Amino acid sequence: MFVNLNEAIQLIQEGKILHIAADESLLKQLPKGKWIAGTTPYFITEQGGITCKDKLFVNEISCAIDYKTMVYDSSNILDMTKDAYPNGMTLLIIPFASDVAVHYAKEAPNSNAIFMNPTIGWISGYDLSTDSSAKVYDGVTGESYGDKAVALHISLPEDKMASIGIVNIFNIDENDAKIEFMQDSLSVTKCLVNGEEVILSDYIAENNIDTRLPLVADYNSVLVNVSIKSVSEENKTVDFYAPVFSGKEYRFARPVSDYVESFNKHLKGFRDVKPIFSCNCILNYLYGELDDKATPPFAGPVTFGEVAYQLLNQTLVYAEIISN
Amino acid sequence: MELDLIFEKLIKKQAKYESTILGLNLLITRLQKQYSTNQTPDELNKCMQEMKAFFEKFNAILGKDIEALRKL
Repeated sequence: MFVNLNEAIQLIQEGKILHIAADESLLKQLPKGKWIAGTTPYFITEQGGITCKDKLFVNEISCAIDYKTMVYDSSNILDMTKDAYPNGMTLLIIPFASDVAVHYAKEAPNSNAIFMNPTIGWISGYDLSTDSSAKVYDGVTGESYGDKAVALHISLPEDKMASIGIVNIFNIDENDAKIEFMQDSLSVTKCLVNGEEVILSDYIAENNIDTRLPLVADYNSVLVNVSIKSVSEENKTVDFYAPVFSGKEYRFARPVSDYVESFNKHLKGFRDVKPIFSCNCILNYLYGELDDKATPPFAGPVTFGEVAYQLLNQTLVYAEIISN
Repeated sequence: MELDLIFEKLIKKQAKYESTILGLNLLITRLQKQYSTNQTPDELNKCMQEMKAFFEKFNAILGKDIEALRKL
């Protein structure tokens, strides 16, 4: 729900377990309580996409029978599953451009036990027209962090279970050039294109590739995007918002002519989903011009990265609670 | 077919199975990568244990997957 400051304060004072997304100016006014939060001024509400600094997006986690908040840095974030409840879910928020975000992006997919606990979340951000920075909040202590992640671990009743899903509007053509990387990295110079070593920035320029399109890898039928952050033709580097991994085959996504139409087409299969949390990527919001456009049944913060177990890009992620 | 044998085939990429459960698809991908970089009985055993633990924990929502896997 998209609420004003007083309404958010009231929910906290009623003792609700909450996930909150809002601009920092609002988050720092919230009283202590059973909540975690991350910064963003961008949202896709039930009424449509909006940039807003005077309202908060709040998810009430009413299905939880118990909860705890934890703060993690690079040294212990992969131990997060040890803190999780035996039957529950973890909502994770990590500040953009922090060491812990980079560490989680690179190491989570290779971590043992990461898939034993449903984990969903996002990378908090800031107003791109300012020189602000991303923050996360632990509502129990009232502390905010720019260099640590915050998690809300919830426990579910025995007859319920959390299920994590994604919506990815991008697709690949198996006949397109196959791109492979020699190591796991957030920044690359060389790669293999159809087995031939090339400089990726040159390849992108020579082939006039639209860098708003992500690289896409197939994870056992799940298409996982890696978005391009920047290309330096001078330094011959390509930087990504999430790491590329060695041993995976990537292809550039097929162009999407109409984001909204494409979202609507993909969302048809999700009409019956009742998400307790969802978020969508800022690159979808910006490139897709989703201002005023809704993506039912999903509404939530617009984020600088999405977490569905591991870090994803240009993807809508959601969690729902299902009966066993 | 016994699930253990099917898990082994999945991990060794000798069989293919696509689930509707995101976590299972990501787990299969990781275990395949883990085993492909260290193809030893010990590593296979570790991967098998992890797969079994996943199915044990999420048994309640994996009924359709178990049924389909047995038919592979």
